[in-house]
Amino acid sequence: MTAFRRLPGGGRIDRSRTLGFTFDGQRLFGRPGDTLASALLANGKLLVGRSFKYHRPRGFLSAGIEEPNGLFTIGEGNRAEPNIPGTMVPLSDGLVARSQNAWPSPAFDLMAVNSIAAPILGAGFYYKTFIGPFRKSWMFYEPFIRKAAGMGKADAAPDGARYDVEYGFTDVLVIGSGPAGLAAALTAGRAGAKVLLAEQDSELGGSLLAETSEALERWRTDTLAELRSLPRVTLLTRATAQGIYDGNQVTVAQHVAQGQLLHVIRARSIVHAAGSLERPLVFSNNDRPGVMLSSAVRSYLNRHAVAPAERAVLATNNDAAYSTAFALAEAGVAVTIAEERMAPAGDLLAQAAALGIAIFPNAGIADTFGGSQLKAVRLKGRHSVTIDCDVLAVSGGWNPAVHLSSHGGIKPKYDPAIAAFVPGGFAETHFGAGGTIGHFGWQACVRDGETAGKGALAACGIGKSPRAIDPPGVRDDRAYGIAVSRDPFDVSLPGKAFVDFQHDVTAKDIKVAHQEGFHSVEHLKRYTTLGMATDQGKTSNVNAIAMMAGLRGIGPEAAGTTTFRPPFSPLTVGALAGRSVGKHFRPVRRSPLHDWHARNGCTFIEAGLWMRAWYYDWAGPTPETAYVREMELVRKGVGIADVSTLGKIDVQGPDAAEFLNRVYVNGFAKLPVGKARYGVMLNDDGIVLDDGTTSRISDTQFYMTTTTAQAGEVMSWLEYLLQCHWTDLKVHVASLTDEWGGMAVSGPDSRKALELAFPEADVSNEGLPYMGVKDIPFGGTTVRLMRLSFSGELAYEVHCPANFTIALWEHILQAAAPLGIRPYGLEALASLRIEKGHVAGLELDHRNSLDDLGLGKMAAREKPYIGKELRFREAMQAPDRWSLVGLEALEPGKKLRGASILFAADDEIKGHGRGYITSVTWSTELNRFIALGLYQGGLRHEGEEIIAAFPLKNEQVRLRIVSPHFIDKEGTRLHA
Amino acid sequence: MLDARSPLASAYSFEAKDIAIREEGGFTLTQVAGFGKGFEKSLAEAVGKLPARIGVAQANDAFTVLRIAPQQFWCVGEAAPAGLSGECLITPLSSGRCRIRVEGAHARRTLARGSAIDFDRSAFKPGQFVMTGIHHTPVLIHCVDAEVFHVYAMRTFALAVWEWLVDAAEGLVAGN
Repeated sequence: MTAFRRLPGGGRIDRSRTLGFTFDGQRLFGRPGDTLASALLANGKLLVGRSFKYHRPRGFLSAGIEEPNGLFTIGEGNRAEPNIPGTMVPLSDGLVARSQNAWPSPAFDLMAVNSIAAPILGAGFYYKTFIGPFRKSWMFYEPFIRKAAGMGKADAAPDGARYDVEYGFTDVLVIGSGPAGLAAALTAGRAGAKVLLAEQDSELGGSLLAETSEALERWRTDTLAELRSLPRVTLLTRATAQGIYDGNQVTVAQHVAQGQLLHVIRARSIVHAAGSLERPLVFSNNDRPGVMLSSAVRSYLNRHAVAPAERAVLATNNDAAYSTAFALAEAGVAVTIAEERMAPAGDLLAQAAALGIAIFPNAGIADTFGGSQLKAVRLKGRHSVTIDCDVLAVSGGWNPAVHLSSHGGIKPKYDPAIAAFVPGGFAETHFGAGGTIGHFGWQACVRDGETAGKGALAACGIGKSPRAIDPPGVRDDRAYGIAVSRDPFDVSLPGKAFVDFQHDVTAKDIKVAHQEGFHSVEHLKRYTTLGMATDQGKTSNVNAIAMMAGLRGIGPEAAGTTTFRPPFSPLTVGALAGRSVGKHFRPVRRSPLHDWHARNGCTFIEAGLWMRAWYYDWAGPTPETAYVREMELVRKGVGIADVSTLGKIDVQGPDAAEFLNRVYVNGFAKLPVGKARYGVMLNDDGIVLDDGTTSRISDTQFYMTTTTAQAGEVMSWLEYLLQCHWTDLKVHVASLTDEWGGMAVSGPDSRKALELAFPEADVSNEGLPYMGVKDIPFGGTTVRLMRLSFSGELAYEVHCPANFTIALWEHILQAAAPLGIRPYGLEALASLRIEKGHVAGLELDHRNSLDDLGLGKMAAREKPYIGKELRFREAMQAPDRWSLVGLEALEPGKKLRGASILFAADDEIKGHGRGYITSVTWSTELNRFIALGLYQGGLRHEGEEIIAAFPLKNEQVRLRIVSPHFIDKEGTRLHA
Repeated sequence: MLDARSPLASAYSFEAKDIAIREEGGFTLTQVAGFGKGFEKSLAEAVGKLPARIGVAQANDAFTVLRIAPQQFWCVGEAAPAGLSGECLITPLSSGRCRIRVEGAHARRTLARGSAIDFDRSAFKPGQFVMTGIHHTPVLIHCVDAEVFHVYAMRTFALAVWEWLVDAAEGLVAGN
């Protein structure tokens, strides 16, 4: 005998089609229009899972998003998603569902042994028990506890679902599609507003979907038909508003074909019509499969045509639940009502009598009986009778869904008239309607929705008056009668009385929390875990608050609520990440020469967002071997390297020279046209910002280069200075980093290479002296030749518009082929500059001063420049500052590693040391490891022997502090 | 002559129902800046009418002119504007930007999956442009026609932006 059965008629299911699905491997069938929950019930599957802590048998409590028990892992393989309420899953053909937290099955769960230990597993048990006997005991116990208690497990494989994010803008966002939401949307839509309605269900209508009234259904379908005809109205289903943020930004997560779509909505106005959630009653063994919310029983009956087999008991403290009793009776179910109130309304009594429903006033439920399925209930009070039943429908009243309206920080307030919390208010452009604000009748909801819709229109500045909404053709609303028992719950009764079904928190746990001093609802939550987990206490919070308030002798309004935060319902992290995963985790930045590198044996390395040419296979199969050969090529012949990643900035205007003169520490006002100059700029706090060369192209135009790493920051800095500080200067700046590509042609034969490549240009020492710059026309474009050296060798940079960079690169390679020219990569480029002692991004660590880097002497004494004043403050002049040094390894057999910590020879190798290695390389010239580093006191210690420690590998290497200029200190080579 | 090469040379045009994404090269982009009204007068003589405000593109005979910032314009045409006075500060940017054409009924939603801009027809109309971001990189999006958009992406990020847009379009086509 099963507890539920599919009715032969009625409901919103499509009886012409059958859908096959599996539950724990068993093949079952349902109908389009079913949810997984209704289909399981129709198949007699009342027991669908086990509880979190005690592994007690559980069935569905609700028919909606508040479901605490019926959680499943849906899907297979990398599309499996755990902890999904079966109440929110529309049935589809081939759907695969698995139960959770039960082994081997919910019907026979070995972990139910936990129930034996239940008496000691109460609130605070973990905190008290597993804290000892040793300091790290918790770390030992935790894996076992997590294994024994828990929910579904996420698969370790990459998620196979697709997640998208889409930005949207609307005049009016309506949250919820019940009568209030539909009325609000139609009101706004009729006035021509752009309306977006988000409904978490797969169908539109909210509470209307659980009704059988023809008048209500006609109103719903007519309203939807008109909404669908309005071009500026968008209706989303399976779309849950998850969070509301500043500026009326709302995130709405929608289930779509291959995964989820996260709508990030900016709404000019928001209508909250999220409805309300029924709360359960607390009594002994109130968690048996078959104990369900009254609204859920009605929804399964009316919407899905799934009814209790024969007998139902309804326990209520309010009038609203009677409609469930009446619907059950009309479907042929024998119904008994256990009424907590002394005297229910006369019209309800009359209607119940007409349907043969027995009512026990002042009764309620004392206990339930059964194992994996409810068999009977015992009433409390004078009518202490036991009644056999298939289902116990419970209704403890209705809680307005105040979650979203609270996200902005407005706390809910208690409304004694409905014995529930309602929104404490709304932000200026927000409006509430219907169940969300504690108005439960059909007429009231529609009126509310219309009023809220008009308010939203006004908030959007839309003055047009829409046609009035026709009310549904049903009788006037009756008052919502509710009387909440104030008797303290008797925790001495046998059996467990659950308040929070999902986390197995009982009434006794709340009493224990009170006894131990956790009186605040926030403390209660943390101590008992009540209101945590996937349902976030949607069915438990208000009952718990009322209980704690009772124990404290205060009202619920004084106890208050915990803080509501996004997301409203469980949201997979993938939905937040969207497409920013894998290949799209971050944008890849490619040099104009990228395609050439890729075709010609280059191995790339990530450098920030850039993909840079690291080394080439002509030089060797590994970076360790290749860069040495590439360095030798540059030191002895000629090589070509991609330097397109350098920041490049166009500085133009009558005051460009004056501007640069203020930005750089050294003089630029008198830089001649056709010359470049190395410059350093400081932040206004005197710390080095960046360095680079800037060339004067004309009287009013300069071509600045920056380090790759600091290009964006320097550009922003220049714009800031011009727009905020020196608005009187007539200067425009523009980034040319993308516009111009660049290559370094380096080595003793580099001049010969350019002569071969550009036979028309004079690149002699006189025609293009050191730091000389000239633009030449070549190949239909402009080529900029700059005699600059990063390697310390005779070298040039050749820049041109990026469209032509590959062609120009190939031209130089071909023209200079007789010289043996070949490309060299970033590893060699960096190593060459270390040998020369050029500082780069690794040394410029945003903490060093000019003097730290040995560049103090290049700063102008007379002229003002940014950072000048603060550069000379006391701390910046301290003799023990970490300053640039060269380092030579003294132990030939040992490898020297970057980031090694530096210690004086007699220091204990411990702590932060006296500095660190910033850059390191094998020197082909010196035949040993060399490095640049920052060391306390810098070159005052030149000649001293120190120690480089690399604790991660327990390595130490003896070093000597030397000048950072390892080669060609006189500059003979670059001036050749 | 040196051959020009686009960073999207290795990318294939994407075409599906209601959406097409392809590179639309062959343009010359020149940034012209200056101070005061003199340079604007000179620029107008060279390229035609200037747009009155930022965010509006003025389509003239040979040039589409976009006012991108105070005292800064982009001039897009087959060639660079000629005959500009010395008051005009000229910065060629043709190599620095790629122009990606996004076209079709899904174009607006494709763009909305990368950029927090209101792409509704009533809010973003032909002739308007926005400077925004796609995939964390700066782009300028010009609404050329009701269902046709030009996305000017930075050259070095162009392939990343392209792949992002194509992926977004694929999601839409798949019903996501």
